[in-house]
Amino acid sequence: MMQWRADDRLTRTIPSDPITRKGGEEGGPTTPKVSRPDVNDLLKRMKRVDPDQARRYRQRSGE
Amino acid sequence: MQRLVGLETEYGLYIEGKNPSELVFEAAEVVRSYNASSFASPWDYRREDPRKDARGFHVQQLQVDPVDAQYDTEAVASAHMSAETRSDRVLPNGARLYNDHGHPEYSTPECVSLRELVAHDRAGERIVWSCAQEYMRRTGLKVHIYKNNTDFHGASYGCHEGYLMRRSVPFEQVIRGMMPFFVTRILYAGAGKAGVETPGIFGDVPYQLSQRADFFAVEASVDTLYQRPIINTRDEPHATPSRYRRLHVICGDANMSEYATALKVGTTRLVTEMIEAGWQPSIAIRNPVETIRRLSRDPHWKWEVELEDGRTMPAIEVQRLYLREAQSRFAHADSETQWLLMAWENTLDMLQHDPQQLADSLDWVAKRLLLEQFIENEGVDWKEPIVQSLDLAYHSIDPQDGLFAGLEQMGAVRRVVTDKDIERAMCHPPSSTRAWVRGTLVERYPQAISAITWSRVQLTLGEQVVTLDMRDWVTQRVPQKVQKLAKAHNLTEFVNTFREWHASRKHDAEGGNQ
Repeated sequence: MMQWRADDRLTRTIPSDPITRKGGEEGGPTTPKVSRPDVNDLLKRMKRVDPDQARRYRQRSGE
Repeated sequence: MQRLVGLETEYGLYIEGKNPSELVFEAAEVVRSYNASSFASPWDYRREDPRKDARGFHVQQLQVDPVDAQYDTEAVASAHMSAETRSDRVLPNGARLYNDHGHPEYSTPECVSLRELVAHDRAGERIVWSCAQEYMRRTGLKVHIYKNNTDFHGASYGCHEGYLMRRSVPFEQVIRGMMPFFVTRILYAGAGKAGVETPGIFGDVPYQLSQRADFFAVEASVDTLYQRPIINTRDEPHATPSRYRRLHVICGDANMSEYATALKVGTTRLVTEMIEAGWQPSIAIRNPVETIRRLSRDPHWKWEVELEDGRTMPAIEVQRLYLREAQSRFAHADSETQWLLMAWENTLDMLQHDPQQLADSLDWVAKRLLLEQFIENEGVDWKEPIVQSLDLAYHSIDPQDGLFAGLEQMGAVRRVVTDKDIERAMCHPPSSTRAWVRGTLVERYPQAISAITWSRVQLTLGEQVVTLDMRDWVTQRVPQKVQKLAKAHNLTEFVNTFREWHASRKHDAEGGNQ
């Protein structure tokens, strides 16, 4: 069974920008809103996956 | 020297009902769905030369994947190169979004701190996903976007890294110094892959460490699309060419894990510094191309490499050679480097003793455990098609469907940045690099920009065409003058302030302050 550890962030702060900009509805792309799932939700996600998706998935070569 | 780093991620694109020959056009449509209020274009391709080799020569032609050539009707081939199809967008956060070979590509702005870089990499996921959502709304077609490197049918696409280095280091030293590191860093930087795409003498295994390891054919070359090298020799510094080079790394996997991204980029940057300072590892790996594949596929996780002198050595020990040198050189470096050295050491220790403990940190471990759990619960076999489909789903950037996204939402993976950091990076450039100047111009004066690259912005200012040249703005922190530039009331004032600053920086640089 998986062992998950607690959050372990780097402590440095990201330098602040001297200009305040607005995102979201005021001109920028928005972050999707999602609720917090549990392990069963994750299993449900896995069961929702189309088994043939990888067989159908074809890409051009990239770099 | 301040070391700029950046990531360029080509996303896998699947649109229901569309085939690969249509992806060049559809990827452009996805990119053009970017719906924020300001962006700049066109990208100035005249200054790019992907055929220039860092070893001092030009190649006549870059190799093309023969399978792709089958898709390329004359119309597709010519459209592929057009500015309209490439659809470059330079964003207010200093990043570049465009259509590269049928893949939406997001290149982060130049960053200095790892945390900043991770935030911008994650911002790219959200921006690309917002484009996909807009495309779906407009067309009614279902879109899947994957941050991975393979279609499981032999086509690969990259997640490239860029590291600023001094030109004075001979490139042969870079190759010799970096090769053992690149071959073995897949132990922690690999994103994991169900199955293999080049079966044969290296064995057919159900799961391997790296998405990309199957696709390397040579040790070093300028090619990126076919017969790929472990070390890419493309010479595109995006900075003053007489003084700098950019190590363009194409052998890495796209990581979903923030921790793996920070570890991959952070360790690589430290090693570039060591090589630049004249250090070389005491070992060389025999047949690196074969070795990276063999390491990736080792089902017993022994991970041994054969050296040029005939000895064998655990790949973890190869990494420790680099780690020990880094620990001695950077013992008094900043807090981020201290974190990195500790994370590197802890990761190698855990890889040696119990790799499964790294399920919250490394993609290949997290994905493997998820797949194993599903296989056990559902009674399926590793070779069934659902397993590769689940592998793909791990890399989906759809927050409702992606498996990594699910782990993250559960709080089951280590974070390096906060969601707030990512949201900020979606709209703001890093304030300590030249990306701030680029992003601010895009935010404020997009209509005035007539051509743009990483190092130059061409502006139309009344009757004048003005080029802001930032090729030399790569080794000093930018913020000193940011406040003054930020306070410019109009573009003329901005340009004049830039020129004053540029003149003083040039003076400093000529005085040897870099």
